[in-house]
Parts: sequence; structure tokens; C-alpha cells
Amino acid sequence: MGANASQLEKEIGSDQFPANEHYFGLVNFGNTCYINSVLQALYFCKPFREKILEYKAKNKRNKETLLACLADLFYNIATQKKKVGTIAPKKFIARFRKENVKFDNYMQHDAHEFFVQLIDSINECILEKQQAGRNRQQQPQIIPTNQEDISSETLTPDQQNILNDVSLNGSNTAPGSPHGQQQQQGTDRQQENTWVHEIFQAIVTRELRCLNCESVRSTDEVLNNLSVEVHQNTSITHCLRCYFTTETISAENKVHCDNCASLQEHQKRTRLKKLPSILVLHLKRFQFLGQFNRPLKLSHRVVFPLELRVFDTSDDAVNPDRLYDLAAIVVHCGTGINRGHYFSIVKSHRFWLLFDDDLVDKIDPSYIEDFYGLTSEIQKSSETGYILFYQARDPT
Amino acid sequence: FKTFNDGERLIDKTKVTCVRWVPGSVNQFLCSHHSGNMYLYNDELICTQDRPHYQLFKEGEGFSIYTCKTKTTRNPLYRWSLGDMAINEFAFSPCSKFLAVVSQDGFLRIFNFDTMDLIGSCRSYYGGLICVCWSPDGRYVVCGGEDDLLTIWSFSERRVVARGAGHKSWVTVVAFDPYTTLYGEMDGVVMHNEESYNRNNYNSTERSGKVRNKPPIINSRPNSVVSDGLNATCYRLGSVGQDTLLCLWDLKDDYLRQSYYRPRSSTVVSNVGSDGCPSNNTIAHSSSLSANSTQNCNKSSNHVKDANNSTGPPSALSSNSLTAKLASLNFVDRRGGDKTSDKDHKRSMSLAGRNSSSNLHKKDSRSNNCSSAAEGDVSSPSFGSKSSVGTSQCPRMDECPLLEPLVSKKIGHERLTGLVFREDCIVTACQDGCIHTWCRPGKQAGAALHSSPSPSSAGISQPLAAGGTVV
Ligand SMILES: [Zn+2]
Repeated sequence: MGANASQLEKEIGSDQFPANEHYFGLVNFGNTCYINSVLQALYFCKPFREKILEYKAKNKRNKETLLACLADLFYNIATQKKKVGTIAPKKFIARFRKENVKFDNYMQHDAHEFFVQLIDSINECILEKQQAGRNRQQQPQIIPTNQEDISSETLTPDQQNILNDVSLNGSNTAPGSPHGQQQQQGTDRQQENTWVHEIFQAIVTRELRCLNCESVRSTDEVLNNLSVEVHQNTSITHCLRCYFTTETISAENKVHCDNCASLQEHQKRTRLKKLPSILVLHLKRFQFLGQFNRPLKLSHRVVFPLELRVFDTSDDAVNPDRLYDLAAIVVHCGTGINRGHYFSIVKSHRFWLLFDDDLVDKIDPSYIEDFYGLTSEIQKSSETGYILFYQARDPT
Repeated sequence: FKTFNDGERLIDKTKVTCVRWVPGSVNQFLCSHHSGNMYLYNDELICTQDRPHYQLFKEGEGFSIYTCKTKTTRNPLYRWSLGDMAINEFAFSPCSKFLAVVSQDGFLRIFNFDTMDLIGSCRSYYGGLICVCWSPDGRYVVCGGEDDLLTIWSFSERRVVARGAGHKSWVTVVAFDPYTTLYGEMDGVVMHNEESYNRNNYNSTERSGKVRNKPPIINSRPNSVVSDGLNATCYRLGSVGQDTLLCLWDLKDDYLRQSYYRPRSSTVVSNVGSDGCPSNNTIAHSSSLSANSTQNCNKSSNHVKDANNSTGPPSALSSNSLTAKLASLNFVDRRGGDKTSDKDHKRSMSLAGRNSSSNLHKKDSRSNNCSSAAEGDVSSPSFGSKSSVGTSQCPRMDECPLLEPLVSKKIGHERLTGLVFREDCIVTACQDGCIHTWCRPGKQAGAALHSSPSPSSAGISQPLAAGGTVV
């Protein structure tokens, strides 16, 4: 690893090496590449790293939470004397395993599942801290929630079902919940926005438009990432366009419109209402198919550009043309969800780097093509983009 | 037989992305590289085995041109540098005077090749632009890219006039079909302002008869001569992509011209024609356009949809006949010899313009929160990282008509890499190394009905054919 590290430094060149930047591999503690790959991707999502380091600066002495462990790890990397090297994320992994029984073993896990769990846990830590602070200072900072066009209370159960049916990635919103996941978690402190929300939160709105009177009802779902279906020989743009659907509900499926006071044809649309600063796209490459009782990997070739915009934004979306740059890719290698290997490719300043546990390599961006997937339908091992991190170009 | 840039790769170490002979020249060719540079070579000069020393020859917004610092002429004659992003393809205009270049940075740049002036540019919605071609009459430049879209740029208006959405992945080749393009008897809007015409250095190749290739320079005086729009040119365009789809598109000249750019914010005025065009501003453009269309149609609305509808009957006529022909499209895979089921491609053929016109109406409700960002780009094309969305260089999705393909057909299992229209067939190439030749629909009948461009112009448009190389 020493040789690898110095080689990287040589390859970049001391005069070219970005100031205050550190490229450190992470030691694998037995199938922890699913953790390492996501941590590296997050480390190179600038707004996220800045917030974590800011947290570290503000909370010198802190009880050991997952957030504190992550902050220590990022701080440790960011303050290394050397520019390249290896770090063992021992404390973080131990803490994560302790808090999450499911991950408390030496098995390979789903990097996406880890990402979701990590973001939720961090958010939870921040909220707890805010709560504690508020109890001391008595200064509530409640940020108003988004206004709905029509509150969901006015909907009939049928309409609720229609709206909820539009669920995109299996995480159904609870009936009667206009705030989706937020409400599921149940406490009113969930209504507050944390910086985690500011960075990752996407709001997906499902509209039900009466084709007779044009009135619109909508429900929102708050997501930290979008899980898109993959199709052979398509682009991530197309996957997103499939995610955001428009369909007409007619004939026997007509829905009651309160405004018209009768059954009417409706148009059902799913649109992106809030565009996050970091748009995390999860390619649903692991799917249960028919006779197999374990998820199979879809190695379909899905191309993803270095820049991205979202086509299907809602009419009331703020900054609907937000331009994103690809910041990091978590790549899955192998045939199944519980086997194989993960590594990540990140962009740092002008360079593209490949972080494979303790190994770090500078790569040519054209190498990314190798991780689009396979055009052959034959099931075989592949190295494919699995989680894409797109970062908004506008200043945050 | 000679080699250039061989051995030590002293000129450019990166891979070659496109090579074309300079039209009208017997010994010069242009070669673009992944490095973002293009080199002009003379094949009569020997490539010397020493590293060229360049000196700046010409500089402009987002590009610089170098020549070799030597006493005797040597290769490369010039180095065109468009930044450090790969140049993906370039194409000479049918009149040979202009060069359209698309790059990984998402820009289409149009140069006057002789004077080396940048005369226009536009940007993809996002991502790199992969392919580019000129309409056979040089009035439009179409490019395809990593946004899965076609971007249609008008030479005369120097702006994006439409986009095409139908591909499910990146668009790898775009090509006009000169054999099924229907040329109008009259241009819909004609008032060539000779002064600005000359200033644009647009010396169209003179063609007799029906082909109209002069770009209309719309001036602010609404005194334009107007035809009845009956015979507006209808271009046939083809595109293939990594989605394995072959798409065929109809671009109607009258529609493209009437689809004026309408910024979301009504306060943004001078976006159109800002780069190098004579000093017309948007208002002048729009008003003269709408004036034309109203005279044209005896309707008192300058709304795009109305204008479009009013030309409806003639357009519908021409496209119906085209649709009918298209329905008889008989794709025959000659290589395999087996007929592909031809019901797949007889899918619903929506009139491209129809659906998209509603696009312009759809919503004005979006906030103006981006208009300030757009203002910075008003007077000059911006290169580099700055996003120019909301300008004539890169309109927002709802500011620009969105066309749909007439036909979209999956023709392979691997991504497509080549597309060439020939008089009797359509040739496609695939990443797996296969070249397929597809019969044209109702060829004999079609040839009789279509007025095809003169042989010479067809020849000129054939540089496209060079794009059909495979693997
Ligand atoms: Zn109604």
C-alpha cells in the first residue's frame, strides 16, 4: 500500500496535487467494502463533507454517536500530514454495527441499504442534538412544512389509494400521510429540516388532476435518494423519465372528484418538486425474478453522463433546471447482492479517483464507460454503476 | 501512403475522433482528437519527426488557433484548440464555408472555416454533444448528445429552434435524408437583407430550381414577402443511438421558423441573435415573425400554436403522404435475409409539431427565479462551466418546441454507431460490427414524388457518409 500511495502522489504530481486535499484508502475489516465505498463517495460530496467537518469543529467533546464517529473519521482524513495513505475506519464500523443489528456481522451487505441507514442515523443524531439544545435554550426553530394544494384530509379513501399506488420504489406512503416518510417516523420533531435534508432531500409529488375540472390534488413524498428501475441499453435520463410517470385513469377506474361531485377521468403524474443539492440515484439492479428466491443482478447497460438535469419537475418546483455534475459512483462487482465487491469512483478537483478499500488510483474519466453495464443478456459477473451521486453546480 | 502523427505521437497522443477532407481542397484534411484539439493537415507535406512549436494565430471566445512556428510550411498547418474536453465530431456545411463542431463540453460551435471566426454556438440541455450534421440546404444544424435529445439549431437565427425527444439513451449519429426531404417551392418567410446576408459571409452554393438554401435574415421591418406556406420545406432526419433505436423525424421549415424563442421571464429581451447577428433583438425577431405568420395565415394571433394550426392543412397534407409512405416502410435485414415483422414499426405516428406546440402553452406559472442567471449570458456565448440555460443558446425545456419521432424502431441488440442515407437504402452500423442495409419504403413511387436535390448538392452532403465507419 505504501508503494501504491506514493505512486498516486507521483502520478498526480506535487505541483498538481490539490491543496488541503487528502486521498486516503480505507482498510477493509472483512466485507466492509459496502461501507468503505459509500463513505468515500460521501467524503467527496463537498457539501456533505463540509457539514460533517463543521459538526466536528463545533462539537469537540461529544458522546459517541454514529455522527460523531463519522465526523472523527472525516476529520482524521482531512487533517493528515501526508497527502495519500490508508486509514482504518475501525471506530465508525464498530459503532455502526453496534447500532444496527442487521449489519452486525461479517457478511456482505447492500451498499444502498447502508447509505439509507447511515443518512437516517445521522439525521437522527442531529435531531436529538437539536432537541437537547432546545430543551436547554427554549428556542424552538420550527421550519414550516410545505403547503399542499389540497390537504389530503379532503380525499376519500379511494383517492388516497390511487395516490399511494403511485409509490415509486416500494416504500409506500402511509395512507393519509401527506408527508410520506416524515410522518411514518411519527414525532413532530421530524417536521424540522436538518442540513441532511437540505443536502439530500428530494420531494416527489404525485398529482391527481381531474380531466373535467382541472383541479389538482397532490401528495408529497420525501426521499433521500431515488431508486430507479434499470432497462437494457438505456440512459439514467431514461430511467428517471420512467420513474416520473404520467398516466390517465379512465373507464372503470374513474375516481371521484369532489369539485365535480362525480366520477371523473383523472391524470396521474409523478413529478420532482424539490431538487436536492446532492441527487442520489440508486439503480435497482437487484431484483427478485420468478423462480429464483434470491435477488438476481441486472447487469443492463445504463449510461450516465457527467452532467444531468431532471426533465419531469413539477410546475411549482424551485430551480427546475438545476444542473448536476457527477460527483461519485459506487460500483458493484459480481453477481449478487450478498456477494461480490464494492468500490467507488469519485471526482476531486480535476481528477477522477478510484477508491477500492485501501487502494487509491487516479483514473482517466473515459474509464467510467467500463461501469455502464453489459449489453449481453446472459447473466454473468459485471462491474456496474450502482449508486450515482450528482451534485448541484449552483453554489449551495 | 503516408502517416501523420505516427511514431511518438508528437502532435497529439489522444485518440482521433473524426477525420474529414476539407471540401473544395485537394490536399487538406481536418482531424479532431479526444484532447479537444483539431489539426489541419496537408497530405502533400511530409510529417516531420519533431515536436511542433506553436504560436497563437487567432483567438476567440472559447477557442484559440495556433500555427507552427517554422520558416517552411509544415504539418499540422493549424491547430484548433477548443478547450480540454474531447471534440466528438465535426461537419462542414454543404456550401463548404462553415464548420460545425460538437464537443464533450456540451457545445456546438459554428465557425467560418476560412476566416476562423466563431459565428454561433449552442449548448446541449446537459452532457456532451456526440454527433452533428447539416441540413442539405445548410439552414439547420442538428446535433445529438448525452441528454438523449436532438438539438436543432437555425443558422439564420443563430439559436436553438427545437429539440427532439424519442431516444432512450445517448444519440450517436444524426443524418439528414436528402432523398426524402421535400423542398418547398417558396420559402415561407423571405426577405433577404442583402447587407446582413453578406456580412454573414454566407455564400450558399447556387442551386437551380426548387432548392432554397439561403438563410432568411429577418430584419425588423415587417415588409417581408410572404408565401402561402404551402410548400414549406419538410426535412427528413434520421438518428440512431445507444438505445439501439433508429428514429426518423420530420422537421418542417415553417414550423421551426415560427417557433420563436419565448423566455419565461418577459423582461429578458435581447437573447436572440446576440452573437454576431446584425443588431436585431428578440422583440424585432418575434414581431416580424409573428407579423409574417399573421399575414401568412390571415389570422390575428401571434401565438405559436395558432400559427402552426393555421398552416395546418398544407402541413398535414404533406405529412400525411409521408406518413402513408412511411407506413409502408419495409425494413429488410439483408444480412440475415429474413424479414423483420413490419408491424412493429408501424406505430402511431404523431405529427411531430402537434404535441410540442402545447408545450409552449403549458405553463407560464413557473417562477422567474432563474432569469437573473440567464441575463449574464445575454450578450455573449458562454463557454466553460457556466450554465446558460434559459438563453437562446440553451432554452429551458418549456421554452422550446419538443419534437417526437415519426418512427422509432429497435433495429439491433447492440448500440448503434452509424447511419447513412443512400438513394436506395438506409445503412446502419452497430457496435458488434454488423452493418445492416434497409430497403427504402416504396422506393420507385417515392423517388418520383420527391424532388431530390441536384446531384452536386447530394455529393456535398455526403461527408455525412464518412461518419458511418464502424467499430
Ligand atoms: Zn373535477
